[in-house]
Amino acid sequence: MEKFRDLSLSGAGAVVIIVPRNISSLSKEFLEEWIELEREILEEPVNIPVYFVYDDEAVMKVYEDVSHAITADQASSAAAALLDVFSTYGYQVVTSDISESKPRKDSSIFSLQGQLSGLGIEERLPTIAIVAHYDSFGIAPSLSFGADSNGSGVAALLELARLFSRIYSNSAAHAQYNLLFFLSGGGAFNYQGTRKWIAEQEATDGILLDVQYVLCLDTIGQSNSLHLHVSRLPKDGVPASIVQNFKKAANLHEPVTNFTVVHKKINLAEETLAWEHEAFSMRRLTGGTLSQRNSPDSEGRHSIFDRQFTSVNVGILKENTAVLAEALMGQIFDLDADSLSLVGDEFGVSEEHVGAWVQYLASFSRAAQLVGNEHAVLLALEQAFNRHLKDVRRYQAKSEKKDPELVFYDVAETKLYMYSVKPALFDLFLTAGVACYLALVFYAVQSFSAIS
Amino acid sequence: SLQVKMTLYHLGNCLALACGPYLIAYKYSILSEYGSFWRCVRVGAAYLATQLVKLLLLATFFPIDSASIQFDPWAEFLKATVDLGDLVGIYLLLLKMSGKGDLKILATGLGWAGAELIATKSIGLWVGARGTEFTWEYMQMSFDANINLVHHVTVAALLLQWGRSEARRKTLVGLVMLLCSYR
Repeated sequence: MEKFRDLSLSGAGAVVIIVPRNISSLSKEFLEEWIELEREILEEPVNIPVYFVYDDEAVMKVYEDVSHAITADQASSAAAALLDVFSTYGYQVVTSDISESKPRKDSSIFSLQGQLSGLGIEERLPTIAIVAHYDSFGIAPSLSFGADSNGSGVAALLELARLFSRIYSNSAAHAQYNLLFFLSGGGAFNYQGTRKWIAEQEATDGILLDVQYVLCLDTIGQSNSLHLHVSRLPKDGVPASIVQNFKKAANLHEPVTNFTVVHKKINLAEETLAWEHEAFSMRRLTGGTLSQRNSPDSEGRHSIFDRQFTSVNVGILKENTAVLAEALMGQIFDLDADSLSLVGDEFGVSEEHVGAWVQYLASFSRAAQLVGNEHAVLLALEQAFNRHLKDVRRYQAKSEKKDPELVFYDVAETKLYMYSVKPALFDLFLTAGVACYLALVFYAVQSFSAIS
Repeated sequence: SLQVKMTLYHLGNCLALACGPYLIAYKYSILSEYGSFWRCVRVGAAYLATQLVKLLLLATFFPIDSASIQFDPWAEFLKATVDLGDLVGIYLLLLKMSGKGDLKILATGLGWAGAELIATKSIGLWVGARGTEFTWEYMQMSFDANINLVHHVTVAALLLQWGRSEARRKTLVGLVMLLCSYR
């Protein structure tokens, strides 16, 4: 980190950071160091461009050439130094973008909502909301894939939508409970999508206001220790009942899923919210966030190293989703532990579905800056919603014109051209060589003329 | 900027390597004694005319089939045969030129190779040698110009010999020259 600071202060034109592409072969400590470095760089103000490149062959060759050239500065003898002038190449790096990145005029964030109606008159039935933020975050937006955070949450939410829409289509099993699903954007930006949606629902007296409980999903793809983070201890009523159902569901699984409740009061002095449910709690809507993380600041949460093969264990994600589904069913159908255990295969969570979604989501960047209205991921999620839910709507959280809370900049990706160049001394050597050669030619011509 | 100057410098190096021997050959050989500059220019014009005739021949009898990209050895052989036209051109020049044998050979060879240098290499060097990235290609191109000089002077000498000598020697020299065309 000190090296980074030195570089940015010493007048370098830019910094290029070579990031390992294949991280499954790295050791845990090494990966943790990288993640730590990523955090620190993110918080450090810099005024030179910082480029992140994957360690492909071409880049590594340049790196080796350059590090060889640096060590050659301390060459053993003058002859060796001279030889180095001939053999080593220097590199000149040019970018394809002429201008620096500018603030965008439109920093809108898109979210999706859909719902399943219970049996009966919709307005009179109780509602539970399931929320997950679908965006990814990392130090380089177009390199952030967010497999676990929050690809796992999105996959679980979609699987729940699929399951419950199947259950509800069976009239005998159609419960008297509404389910509201919300995929929020801008989760990494203080839950911008969610907060603005809540404000809009309040303004238009939307369905959200009657919700009994908001269950937010955030990173459940790697560990079978689940924590339900709440702002107020669930003493009675729906919150307590939900907790009971979770405990029942958790015990049904082998190996047992550890389920705990973590109580953290909202700190109004903080600039940003710790968990997504806090956005709801601040508006007097009860809720909690289900996460394998036990604290909001844990590592690797917003990292470019959060990629599918290292971060998500599909088997565990399936188990966690199953716990989630069973807890909800227990709540909605008011089932006891024995009945819950019979839910089983017919309405069980499909590992293929969950795995396929995670694979799809983690295959490209979902950074909020890059997800515009036409982005493929929005279309894919909307399609999935339309398949299972009704009243599917897009919600656009526009940024304010004056004094906006959030400003996006353009230019997430650029091309670096690295030309191999010879040091200046080399050209001088060439001139000397050419001069000697011409002298030889001169003598040759002279002697030839003398002969003839 | 410094970088632009450095790349112009490399161009300068290449030009020195390419043209140096030509200038030295001109100044310090028998040519300068007889003020042969315009003679060499006339040779250059003859070179251009020969190339034009060759192009016309190629276009008429061996039209390029742009669809086939494969290397057709027979077609390439035929095209190289048209290069024999170069020999014809040089021979005619030698016949028409006045002066001593040495002078004729040098003037023809130098003028011919010089015209070839300007026609084939100058644009390549101007565009490429000034590029940021360094490759040995341009120095090689420049050195190739030197080889051309020697080659064409030699061919001129051989042709002159061939024109003068008796039948026996003729065929041997003729064979050598034919082979030279197919390089």
